[in-house]
Amino acid sequence: MSHTAGLHCEQLTRRVGERCLLDRLNLAVEPGESLALLGPSGCGKTTTLRLLAGLDPASGGRIRLDGDDITTRPAGQRQVAMVFQSYALYPHLSVVANLELGLEVRGVPAAERRRRIAEVLALLQLEGLELRRPAQLSGGQRQRVALARALLRQPRLMLLDEPMSNLDAQLRDQLRPELRALLQRAGHPVIHVTHDQQEAMGLADRIAVLDGGVLQQVGTPQELYHRPANLFVARFLGRPGINLLRPEAGVQRAVRPEHLQLVPDGGLPVRLQQREWQGAQQLLRLESDLGLLLLLCDAAQPLGDALQVQWRAEDELRFDGSSGQRLE
Amino acid sequence: MSRTSLPLLLAALGWSLMPLLWQLLTSLRTAEALVLQGAGAWLQGWTLDNYRLVLQGDPPFWRYLLNSSLVGAASTGLTLLLAIPAAYGLQRQRPALRGALSLALLAAAMFPYVLLFLALLELARALGWGNQLLALALPYAGLSLPLAVLLLRAAFADLPEELEDAARLEGLNLWQRLRRVLLPLLAPAIASTAILVFLFSWNEYPIALTWISRADLLTLPVAMARIAGSSVYAVPYGAFAAATVLGALPLLALVLVFQRQIVSGLTQGAVKG
Amino acid sequence: MTLLLLLPALALAAAVFLWPLLRYGWLSLQAHSVLTALVPVPNGGANWQRLLADGRFWQDAAQTLRFAGLSVGLELLLGLSLALLLHRPLPRRGLVRAVVLLPWALPTTVMALGWRWILNDPFGPLNGLLRSLGLPAYGFLSEPRSTWLFTVLADVWKTTPFVALLLLAGLQAIPAELEEALRLEGANAWQRLQRLTLPLLAPYMLLAALFRLAQALGVFDLIQVLTGGGPASSTESLALYAYLNAMRFLDFGYAATVMLGMFALVLGLSALVLVGQAMRRRWAAAGLTP
Repeated sequence: MSHTAGLHCEQLTRRVGERCLLDRLNLAVEPGESLALLGPSGCGKTTTLRLLAGLDPASGGRIRLDGDDITTRPAGQRQVAMVFQSYALYPHLSVVANLELGLEVRGVPAAERRRRIAEVLALLQLEGLELRRPAQLSGGQRQRVALARALLRQPRLMLLDEPMSNLDAQLRDQLRPELRALLQRAGHPVIHVTHDQQEAMGLADRIAVLDGGVLQQVGTPQELYHRPANLFVARFLGRPGINLLRPEAGVQRAVRPEHLQLVPDGGLPVRLQQREWQGAQQLLRLESDLGLLLLLCDAAQPLGDALQVQWRAEDELRFDGSSGQRLE
Repeated sequence: MSRTSLPLLLAALGWSLMPLLWQLLTSLRTAEALVLQGAGAWLQGWTLDNYRLVLQGDPPFWRYLLNSSLVGAASTGLTLLLAIPAAYGLQRQRPALRGALSLALLAAAMFPYVLLFLALLELARALGWGNQLLALALPYAGLSLPLAVLLLRAAFADLPEELEDAARLEGLNLWQRLRRVLLPLLAPAIASTAILVFLFSWNEYPIALTWISRADLLTLPVAMARIAGSSVYAVPYGAFAAATVLGALPLLALVLVFQRQIVSGLTQGAVKG
Repeated sequence: MTLLLLLPALALAAAVFLWPLLRYGWLSLQAHSVLTALVPVPNGGANWQRLLADGRFWQDAAQTLRFAGLSVGLELLLGLSLALLLHRPLPRRGLVRAVVLLPWALPTTVMALGWRWILNDPFGPLNGLLRSLGLPAYGFLSEPRSTWLFTVLADVWKTTPFVALLLLAGLQAIPAELEEALRLEGANAWQRLQRLTLPLLAPYMLLAALFRLAQALGVFDLIQVLTGGGPASSTESLALYAYLNAMRFLDFGYAATVMLGMFALVLGLSALVLVGQAMRRRWAAAGLTP
């Protein structure tokens, strides 16, 4: 168990005063795998990242990296690199100086430093920007410099804190696949933190959903989407969110908007409240006896006067009314 | 600029400058010319003798400026040496402790330090520091520390936390982080603090008065006071004025050059204090 | 561990601020003067009894209080006006601020000598001005009843820039949108000043008042060089009295007592100001306007 490669968290816990920020997290990430920590604010994802980086001390549990127990090792000696949400580039230094500082402090000789920096600048297409200060770079460029600095660390673990949140929507869509390809090529485990499910699904091989410091479920995006472990995961993933039908007999039933179909008859009668056109699709807000329903369908779908909806039994998800766990 | 602003502005500038300009005027007049009255008196009696008198005195006037500069530099250096790590440490404390210490420091910064001179004098005599110019740097640093620590702590607080985290992950230890990342970014605040400490030590009177008695070791304020008390019957106001002008010149230069740092130091201190 | 970084600075500051107070406490209970051959001899509360009965001490306390009161009051007023002036867009702002700052940067004793000449009777320029207006010359520094006013003048000249800068900081902290919003509602400059600026400036004014009050109560440099405490001890301040006891009369035990008396005064007044401010705020919150 202790000689396996990659990252292993065992019962990782952090308590501050009365509050438990992270409660006995167990997680394993393979080399070359990209894992997203997903959840609402305050769920413990940034806490986990900071514990892995060594910026905060753990209250309990162990962290093993490539078989090495790094739980109590200081941040600078873990060979872990992190890209911060604000990128944290040194504002008073040029791009090259930003990249060089860490190498110099770690004792890398000058010629070797120059070589490695040139290599990473080429990799991230930052040539020509060497002498600029961070304030003179665009958001996307700053992200790449931050990535370059992290890669130069030659880390055994790469951590990213909301890597896309400082970029506007268009840039995000553009850079997401590039970032993913880059991280895969690097070959070490990558963990990134995000509250944006689209980013998680686009960048990660697996997703770990956290809520209130407790791990809810970990798996591929498809597993989490189609077979959520509990109500929280089911509601967190998917945009627009899953429809919750009126609970009956202690069972909470739910159906995703794209699984609802409009049928001429034999279904649940509904009344159209509002209609949102989204280009290729349209989103319908429908009133029914079982509650408010969202339906996602083709934009060209004609809408009659009396609408009825239906869904396949295997598309319906059922959860225990009190615990929220999914029922098979 | 509005119509009311200009005359008010000129009045404010005049109010600040008039006493000094009058000293300049007086310093160029002979002793006889100073006691003359009437409009015609202004056509004669101009001289540079007053300056010659002051500059050739024993000890020469520039000696006092040198002494003040030496003490100023030593105090500023010592204060910064102690205040920078203290400010860093203070910023890293829990909010409760940080607040309590900041309040104590604020109270100390406001304290009328003239009250302290007797006990400090006793200490100086006991330790044999009387007439040791550079020894003054110790009480001066002690008196300047509260304000310096408060100002620098506020400056540290302004730096983004993630910056230091990033440096830690890169393997920089505390000294390296301070030197390569934090202090360069703090340079403006350090400059402001330094100039304020320097000004304070140039201005300090009661402690310099009691610790130093040798004429050639006097700092500027004490030398001026001695000059002021020196003659009782004659009216050597021309020479007095020349001394005033010469004493004011270095500070005038300092204020002109560092005006921005002084203003930002005081205004930042007020906002964050 | 970071606590260690604080230690050297705190140690030096404590040595400079706390040690003297403790020492004075001990000294005030000793007879330590020329009469005891400069050796401290415990004498119980004799120094304190002497202090309470010392007419000169109470006279000086009253003089110091009136000096501080008028000085700080004028400085707040003039400082506020100056700050409001500097807050507007001005040409050559840097030069203007440098000139305005100048009085504060000069050592008190340097300019005190200058003031002695300006206020000189009969040859100083102020008397020259009076003469040119057909008025008789005035003994600014020789009339026991009015000399203190001119010490206030010199003090106000020196320290108004400091107050002005503190208040300027407060003005700069007021968001411009608030002022614009009021202007849109039709408030004129005076109303804006009253309703928006002054209330938001209150904490800064309090800070400036406390700072200046404590320092004005300790006035020493100015008095010693400008008037020497005269004429007829009418401008003598508590700090000067303490100094005389220590350095001229060589009565260290009593000097320490005087200084502790001064400290109590400063503390008491500062507490009064703070309590007054807190009470005003409580009343305002309860709906009673000041």
